[in-house]
Amino acid sequence: MNSLLSARDLTISFGPVQALRDVGLDLRPGEIQALCGENGAGKSTLIKVLMGIYQPDKGVVEVDGVARRIDNPQHAQQLGFALVAQELSLAPQLSVLDNIWLGDRSVPVFHRRKALREKARRALETLQVDIDLDVKVADLSIGQRQLVEIARMIARDARVLILDEPTATLSDVEIEHLFQVLRKLRAQGHAILYVTHRLGEVFEICDTVTVMRNGAHISTGAVSEVSREQLIETMLGRSFSDMYPQRLPGQGSDGLSVTGLCIDGSFENVSFDAPRGKILCLAGQIGSGAGHVIRAIGGLAPLTSGRMFLDGQPLTSMSRGSTIAFISEDRAREGLFDRSVVENLVAGQWQDHSRLGVISWTSARRRAAELAASVGIDARRLAANAFDLSGGNQQKILFARAAGGKRPGVILMNEPTRGVDIGARSEIYRLMRDLCARGYCLVMMSTDLEEVVGIADIVVPMYRGAVVARYEAEEIDISRILLDITHPRNAGEVVHEAVGH
Amino acid sequence: MKIFSQKTRPYLILLATVLVLAVIDRGRGNVLSGATVFSALQYLATLGPVALGLSLTMLVREFDLSVAGVFGLAGCVAVLLGGDSPALGLAAAVLAGAASGFIQGLIITRLQMPSIGVTLGGLLTTIGLAYVLTGNQSLTFDNMDLALFLSARIGLFTPRSIVALALAAAFAMALYWLWIGRDLIAIGSDRRAAHTAGVRVDALMVLVFTTSGALAALSGALLSYSLASASPSGLSEVLVPATAAAILGGVSLSGGTGTPLGVTAGVLMLGVLRAGLNALGAPPFAHDMSMGAVLLAVAILDAPGIRAHFERLQTLTRSRTETQAP
Repeated sequence: MNSLLSARDLTISFGPVQALRDVGLDLRPGEIQALCGENGAGKSTLIKVLMGIYQPDKGVVEVDGVARRIDNPQHAQQLGFALVAQELSLAPQLSVLDNIWLGDRSVPVFHRRKALREKARRALETLQVDIDLDVKVADLSIGQRQLVEIARMIARDARVLILDEPTATLSDVEIEHLFQVLRKLRAQGHAILYVTHRLGEVFEICDTVTVMRNGAHISTGAVSEVSREQLIETMLGRSFSDMYPQRLPGQGSDGLSVTGLCIDGSFENVSFDAPRGKILCLAGQIGSGAGHVIRAIGGLAPLTSGRMFLDGQPLTSMSRGSTIAFISEDRAREGLFDRSVVENLVAGQWQDHSRLGVISWTSARRRAAELAASVGIDARRLAANAFDLSGGNQQKILFARAAGGKRPGVILMNEPTRGVDIGARSEIYRLMRDLCARGYCLVMMSTDLEEVVGIADIVVPMYRGAVVARYEAEEIDISRILLDITHPRNAGEVVHEAVGH
Repeated sequence: MKIFSQKTRPYLILLATVLVLAVIDRGRGNVLSGATVFSALQYLATLGPVALGLSLTMLVREFDLSVAGVFGLAGCVAVLLGGDSPALGLAAAVLAGAASGFIQGLIITRLQMPSIGVTLGGLLTTIGLAYVLTGNQSLTFDNMDLALFLSARIGLFTPRSIVALALAAAFAMALYWLWIGRDLIAIGSDRRAAHTAGVRVDALMVLVFTTSGALAALSGALLSYSLASASPSGLSEVLVPATAAAILGGVSLSGGTGTPLGVTAGVLMLGVLRAGLNALGAPPFAHDMSMGAVLLAVAILDAPGIRAHFERLQTLTRSRTETQAP
């Protein structure tokens, strides 16, 4: 079959940096093609060129065999390209219907037409999504919002769908529903470019996979003909030595212990012991309450009831601050300041770097350099703004800050590797093990089961706000945990809840 | 439709204000009278268009402080240029207001500056301009016929209050029926998303500030005509009540909510409060205090903690009634 979209020799430079080098891409109708690569491989630049946000210095984009210059995103939309970005472009205060037609230039001035409503309804029907057109988007779940965004593209006759990390914020059930939708669109002859960090999804949903590295196209091939290890090696450009570091021997001592934690409407009666030198991981889907438990222990949400102890001593709000650090999954909003790396690293310790209240920058810089070295951040980036660093480096800043205290304490993490590419990810895991060796007590939450099984010493699966089990060492088994967090006995009910209303 | 919702709240507050005042009056008829309604409508005639324009900027999550300055400046412009032809004076005043809004909108969007800073500059500049234009004098307007016409009573209305009501209705219809209303809500509720979806964010923002300036100017010019005078200093006390009316009218400071009719109800509520308190013989400072109290109450009702409690209470009572009625 002929290509719907075909790009050749795309080259683009930003100043001295060559972001794309002679990149080619072919998308055929009825194909789901994965686009993989580390952060900085050039995936997002390629997408932006296809969507007309950047103009390439060289190269052509052909649509239906005709070479086209894509002037801007509106033009790309007219050509039938649609991008579902990580950050959705829905206005929460508007209804689903209004959102589907939001910003569409072809909509008449008096817009309350039956035809528009009908077309929007058909688009939702195509996706077999049961969402009321008059509901406010603010009242929908994240998964439903994503489907609305896709429906918008379908209603506007998109033929090429570009999905950028669509599952990053979805629960497993929502992901499964998204995949059903994508398969349906594939059967209808749409072409889908699927950008993802999650290799499991490549093998589950994609037909072909294209790998990019350092701005260049490395390979394209059928998914059935590559193995997971090959794919990772192609992405990294070096051999894949074990992603997860060795677990440390020994039992661990003391540490954090919580009993009967409860927040009304979120989780109840959560108890566990997390010894020092170990990584305890709460596993659960979005909505399981696991993320809230971490926040509550960090003092970010008031507990209805429950008690917490650190090394046998009760934790109070007074004693908590200096010993418990929290690393959020939302680095931009809850982790980093829009300031230099130095200021981000020593944030909260200024009193140690000032005399009579006057900041000593020499001392602060020295300390920041030490912290940066301890987590492997390039010392030349210390003066840069933290937001200009890659996701992996940003996460390292937060780790360095959390582990910068005088005595090892508790480090709480929600989704510690979200938005972190595969190369930096293994560094983060190594850092976590280092912290264990230094006597820290690590408590994390993750929805990525592969990560849970790979890194945790102790797994505590949660379902609907309750702890289901506790597994240690050899008991940790991915299929058992999957059962626990999706509750097989009422699986149908769960599906209904997550994707229905 | 739920009776107690974000949408119905402005009207309920208006109703509650009338009821409370009537109860305080204890049926003596001072409050529930034509005079109160007339007085509230006159208040609307002056404040309504200003609050309307301001609420549009709040809808897109910006704020136009300059309305107060434009309001006064427009009065001076209209009186200065309207001696021979009032229509010309009015046109010049509205044009000046629109131009001021256009320039500020352009600065805000092109230079990506926060509107508070830019329009604070606009406020001071327009106030200053009014002093320059008038030479720091109070101006009188010779066309008494027009002044009398504008203040003439037609039942409970005057031409000015009819203009204000017509504007509110026109804007309500435009925002409801035209795509522009959805686009403005989208900009206010998530600007980046609106932009990605294809909304012409910058153009619409400039339009909003231009409209806000023009509306404030129109109201200021008409008020000066009807008072047959203009002064650079006397007319700037509209900013705080207009903001209060917009908030009472359901316009959120965080953008994306609010309707022209709600804002009109908010203005009327303040008007009724003033007129009612006057009728009850309350001293003038009671106006501001009661307005403050109502605003505070509304703000507290909106506080996330309170709302969560309220919703929990609702679900509790609902489940209880359901279990009681098998």
